[in-house]
Amino acid sequence: MVKSFRRIFGLVRLHRFRFFLSQFMMFIAALATVGYATLIAPLVNQGMVEGNAEAALRIGIWMLLLGLVMGICMAIAASQAVFFSQGAGYVVRSFLYEKIQAYSFENFDHLSTGNLMVRLNADAVNVQNATQYAIMLGSYAPFMLLATIILAVINTPALVWVLGVVVVAVLLLMWSLIPAVDRAYKERQERLDDLNQTLQENLTGISVVKAFVREDYEIEKFNQRAEAIRVPALAAAWRVAFLSPLLTGVGQMAIILTIGVGGTQVLSGTGLTVGEVSAFTSYMSLIIAPLALMAIVIPLILRGDVSASRILEAYDAEPVIVDKEGALTLDPENIKGHITFENVSFAFRRTDGKLDPPALKNINLTIEPGQKVGFLGATGAGKSALINLIPRFYDVTEGRITIDGIDVRDIPQDNLRQIVGIALQEAVLFQGDMRFNLKFGNPEVEDRVMFEAAKASDSYGFIDNLPEKWEAPVARRGYNFSGGQRQRLSINRALTTEPKIIVLDDSTSALDASTEGRVQEAIPGFMHGATTIYVAQRISAVIDLDHIYLLENGKIIAQGNHEELLQSSPLYQEIYESQLGGGVTAGLDLEGVS
Amino acid sequence: MTIAVANKTSGKKHAGASIDQPDQAPSTLNRLLGYMIGGDQRSRFILGVITRVVALLGLTALPFITGQAMNVISEPGGSLDQLYRWVLYGFIAGVIYLLFSFFSDRLFARMATHGLLQLQTTLFSNLQTLSMGFFFKNPPGELSSNITNDAEVVSLFYTSAVGQLIRAVLQVIMILIVMLVINWKLTIVALITVPFLLLAIYVITNIASPAFAKLQENLGEISAFQEETLAGRKVIISKRRQEWAREAHEGQAADVYRVGRRAFFASLMQFPLTQTLAIFQNVFVLVAGTFMVIGGETTLGVVMSFSGYAAILASPLAQIATLITNALNAAAGGERVFKIIDERPTIKDAPDAVEYEFKGGEIKCIDVDFSYVPGRKILRHNTFDVQPGEKIGICGPTGAGKSTLINILTRYYEIDSGTILIDGQNLQKLTQESLRKQIGVVLQEAFLFTDTVMNNLKYANADATDEDCIEAAKKANAHDFILELPQGYDTLLTERGANLSQGQRQMITIARAMVADPRMLILDEATSNVDTRTEKLIQDGMRNLMEGKTSFSIAHRLATIRDSAKIMVLNGGEIVEYAPHAELMANQGFYYALYMSQFKGKAPGGAQAADVDFIST
Repeated sequence: MVKSFRRIFGLVRLHRFRFFLSQFMMFIAALATVGYATLIAPLVNQGMVEGNAEAALRIGIWMLLLGLVMGICMAIAASQAVFFSQGAGYVVRSFLYEKIQAYSFENFDHLSTGNLMVRLNADAVNVQNATQYAIMLGSYAPFMLLATIILAVINTPALVWVLGVVVVAVLLLMWSLIPAVDRAYKERQERLDDLNQTLQENLTGISVVKAFVREDYEIEKFNQRAEAIRVPALAAAWRVAFLSPLLTGVGQMAIILTIGVGGTQVLSGTGLTVGEVSAFTSYMSLIIAPLALMAIVIPLILRGDVSASRILEAYDAEPVIVDKEGALTLDPENIKGHITFENVSFAFRRTDGKLDPPALKNINLTIEPGQKVGFLGATGAGKSALINLIPRFYDVTEGRITIDGIDVRDIPQDNLRQIVGIALQEAVLFQGDMRFNLKFGNPEVEDRVMFEAAKASDSYGFIDNLPEKWEAPVARRGYNFSGGQRQRLSINRALTTEPKIIVLDDSTSALDASTEGRVQEAIPGFMHGATTIYVAQRISAVIDLDHIYLLENGKIIAQGNHEELLQSSPLYQEIYESQLGGGVTAGLDLEGVS
Repeated sequence: MTIAVANKTSGKKHAGASIDQPDQAPSTLNRLLGYMIGGDQRSRFILGVITRVVALLGLTALPFITGQAMNVISEPGGSLDQLYRWVLYGFIAGVIYLLFSFFSDRLFARMATHGLLQLQTTLFSNLQTLSMGFFFKNPPGELSSNITNDAEVVSLFYTSAVGQLIRAVLQVIMILIVMLVINWKLTIVALITVPFLLLAIYVITNIASPAFAKLQENLGEISAFQEETLAGRKVIISKRRQEWAREAHEGQAADVYRVGRRAFFASLMQFPLTQTLAIFQNVFVLVAGTFMVIGGETTLGVVMSFSGYAAILASPLAQIATLITNALNAAAGGERVFKIIDERPTIKDAPDAVEYEFKGGEIKCIDVDFSYVPGRKILRHNTFDVQPGEKIGICGPTGAGKSTLINILTRYYEIDSGTILIDGQNLQKLTQESLRKQIGVVLQEAFLFTDTVMNNLKYANADATDEDCIEAAKKANAHDFILELPQGYDTLLTERGANLSQGQRQMITIARAMVADPRMLILDEATSNVDTRTEKLIQDGMRNLMEGKTSFSIAHRLATIRDSAKIMVLNGGEIVEYAPHAELMANQGFYYALYMSQFKGKAPGGAQAADVDFIST
């Protein structure tokens, strides 16, 4: 039971002293509490019944001291519990995040962002809570229960059964309330997610809502989902609210019961004293709180265990791609940028470890240093899969890829990615300023390089127009820039690292043809003989490159330059006709006529 | 008019919340309470308070009854009969307390969930009336997460704070009255610890409450960072910045740890403090009581009941302090919610607005200027005519104002100056609803709802039959692939249509626009990544959709608008050319340059692009 939680809780071993301190303090606190309750009887008996004021005063001072000890011990234990629980949160977050940073692309294919976010946040909080309660109540509550029962057995054996009745009653009541609260909370959360999704979808698609004038329908939909939350929310809310009166009420009735039963014995002269009866009533109130807390805390610890197992699942995932032992670091300066694919096949791996149908089949190609090549093809043709193999985002399933004759798997990843720069289609920027983002791949680089790269990527102009220019703030993911601007900044960022091989993975798709043309024209001037690889769906993005590979269903089905392909490949012709064809001739004809 | 109706209903429903009288400016908390206990909830609220008072009468009687029972057994001459009578009373009081607490808690929980529902629906209804400008300023992700978080805070206020605060206050007052009536001297003794208790709680909340707010902020920060870096993981891996991400994250996690420790430690301190003070309180009562019993001033029973009262006095007192802090947090959240509720649409129908009457679809724009932000003109002096049924292609560099033109023709935004006439009727004098029903829009981003394919199609027109939708899907070339989906037209599309390809989504949005059967159309051509075959299907679909209608299509690939009756060429917010393709090509002007730039010197016949001044942003 709670195996996963215990594994994370095992970190406590590093701070064994603190842990023992916390448990020892809770033990003392429990002792002091019980001691205080035990002194009530002599105080009542010697003071009020026998009229000994001095004794009452003495006992009272002892009780105050015990109360003080209890408070201090609990405060110390609480500080330790907070240390452990917040520490557990910290450890879980930073260890897991560190592990995620070591992940390869394939690991991310198997664990979605949303999935990881839940583990890093909600699950971390659950483990935190479980830790806090485990430390505060783990030994305290059972000890209190035990101590109270022992004292009751010793001092007032005749009343012990009343204690039993109360314990059973409290547990039964809690069992009837708590699981229902848990269920209701869970249901409420699900429906709340549903409602929030409705809200978010509505806001994201607000222009569609307005275009079809469906505001009323949207309001109706939202109202229904908001209404659906009410039932579980109500079920949880009244039970939670009723919990405290219920415990108070049961406590008070237990006292009445005790006085009834005990009083009968006092009046019948069985030797039970009034003081003992009142002491017993305090025992009773002592155990109700820990009992109730245990009922609340046990589900929390169980939930913490489920969360812990999810965290550990992600933590135990090992990066798929690791550096080869003894891999030699190459000096990027000496790299010429000669790339070969030798009979390369590639398939994505599924979560169950089996391979998907191959995304690339028997690819053979050679890219000469300084060449500008393009990969053209529709979505799913295998373009991105192909170029992802060069910086080793994935490893080939068969065959090999070399750079200057060296298998990419023999180069350390860090070194390899210094050599191969890539601008991705999804141009994500990070919160920070412009300079930070552009120098992301190489923070040490001089401003001059960044400026040059900005000019080459056609972004110098608009950055220079910003009020804060190179210190301009960039919002999360770069949302304060348009799609076209983000793509140019992403190219800028890739260029700033001055790679020997640069891959532009459909990273000009949001630019108009003229801007794209300017960028493509400027890059060779910046790159000084680097190998440039373009991936595109638009023919205009690859039309003037040295060599174009046309991909379909994971295979190279045609290659050559634009003119050659126009002659040799029917598919290329088809794409050309659909994207560019016809118009020019029409214009030229007309020119001829007029 | 949709918007007016929505406004009226929300106003009527929540008269208690006085939406209609913002001049009264009730404080946020009052206004929040209005949703929970105002209007038709008032009688429920009164009943809730009455049941609560009855319940507390039971509770307040209990320590007195136990005290009397203790008297019976501690004083000579007590009889079993007397004892059992008090025990019976005790049980009756206990049952009354439990039963009425149960009723009262249920009533308050009901009011709380009702209040939240009213607040949420009012908020959402008002949100729907707002103009596009509002949504432009408030990105959807941020807006929805703010609303969600604020609603949670308010929900907590409704469900816990209100009911418990009333209970705690009533409990304190009633117990104090009973104690004072029984023995005022012992009451003072029992209250000695109260100032310390309140002071301690005050100090704790003053540390914990800002710490929790800071913690919340830090947690938001760290999760935003996690999300951003997970979304940008490919960039991080390719740029070898894992170490940076790890370090930045660790710094934030350390902040969370530090603030979390302070917040939780402070709030946990409440427990030992209240417990210790409760013990002190009890000891003071018992010792002072002993002296008074010895002095003959009171009885053992009275002292014992005071000990009982002290026990049920401390926790509501401690609660009051924390609940007040809760309420203040809720006020902050509520204020943000009310800001949205009080927001009014920037574009309203003119008081004398009339329904748009379709007369063929002629559009005249005369000297139209437009800016999203004052002072930064996006469109300048736009003047053009569109004849009924004409197909107009729009092109130009990125940021030339192509999409903006859509926004003003649909009146998502109001133009700064100039006039737009549709079939001779001034756009600004038409109701927005009648206008939008006649102008169909197919946007670049193919947005679909999480619903079935059929419902997504019907979204365009509530009166459409299944047959209408299937017919439209056929024309949009979507029918075949829809039938291949697992449940055909009943297939549930997941979040934003993720289980369809981009091309398929595009085709469904075209079919959806067909279902609406508008008289005019605006199409924003997708830059979507689709293969040539799919692209042909999409273009055929679009052509079917535009058949015989006045239409604008915004092109990113010039080939798609070549056949338009006229092509409008925008550069830097101005219309620089406006003529058919062949004419524009012959002119060898801006369009020609734009067109030739696609070929990068590889155009058939070796034609070269002229040098023109592209204004792209």
